[in-house]
Amino acid sequence: MSAASPSRRWLVVGAAVLALLFGAWVARSLLQSGANRDASALMAVSLPDLQGVQQPLRQWQGKLVVVNFWATWCAPCREEMPMFVAAQKAHGAKGLQFVGIAVDEVAKVKQFAHEIGLNYPALIGGFGALELSRALGNSVMALPFTIIVGRDGQVMHTQLGPLNHNQLERLVEAGL
Amino acid sequence: MHTHDPVDSLRRPARAALALIAHRAALVGALCCNVGAAAAEIKLLPGEEAFRYAARAIDARTLEARFTIADGYYLYRDKLRFGVEPESVAVGAPALPPGKVKDDEFFGRVETYREQIVVRIPVERATPGQTLTLRADSQGCADVGVCYPPTSQRIAIVVPAAGAAAGAFVEATPPKKRWFQ
Repeated sequence: MSAASPSRRWLVVGAAVLALLFGAWVARSLLQSGANRDASALMAVSLPDLQGVQQPLRQWQGKLVVVNFWATWCAPCREEMPMFVAAQKAHGAKGLQFVGIAVDEVAKVKQFAHEIGLNYPALIGGFGALELSRALGNSVMALPFTIIVGRDGQVMHTQLGPLNHNQLERLVEAGL
Repeated sequence: MHTHDPVDSLRRPARAALALIAHRAALVGALCCNVGAAAAEIKLLPGEEAFRYAARAIDARTLEARFTIADGYYLYRDKLRFGVEPESVAVGAPALPPGKVKDDEFFGRVETYREQIVVRIPVERATPGQTLTLRADSQGCADVGVCYPPTSQRIAIVVPAAGAAAGAFVEATPPKKRWFQ
């Protein structure tokens, strides 16, 4: 047995190094996908809608919830929102729920919501919403920032920057 | 048989220790180096690093603001505003250089700045040796498709003595690094 031990020792060391790399990789991929994270902090938030009525996000729990942080001063945000309107129309009945959180003023949001025929709730977060988004992974506090929460209350996906159509369809299909 | 193997019995705690190390490595990876779940896809700079603001006083009648813009980022010309404190100092119209015209689907024809811009701001009733605050409001975006919120930054500058050389640029103090986000 002792004759085999040097090579076996190396095997153990090799396995340890692999385990270490694997551990780092798992941590990294968890971070990247934003998967397996509890969304309860986000779902506990309550913000006023365009009429000033407080809307707790908890009311949409159990649905596939797409929370989109946006603003009228953000061109890429405005660009991707008609796609959200179309997806809400196509999949809303099956349990997809978009929620927009605007880092903006009510009047500007109202006007833009009218322009694009917004068919999902627009909540007013003001600049405080940027801090909220930071706590959820938006470290540079830029927009758009989107979090998709599965029916099970776990974060399925987070994204800084716009989603593309195929990506959104894939995620919606996986989550519904 | 193997229970009497000294190597094997040594190996077990070693294995447990290594498993623990691997676990800790994963944990540390998850906690310390929080690149942000989303930011991992596209690496982005914080706004104050993407758009670095500096200011100086050339003389009692002229201030200068400078933005150094990281590659792949731009500022909107029409979002740039300047203000001076104290209010006893009057501010003239800043000489904004022409920007690069960008046809924006939503905002129409907008002018943007890249790389670096220097803006001269005329002032009145400033006195040599006086400390002024030059406030710059700005807003910009990154080419990858994200925008940063409108920001207001302030820099304290000293007006040079009459006939003295122009002051040196003072950089906006970067906020403290947040290791744990």
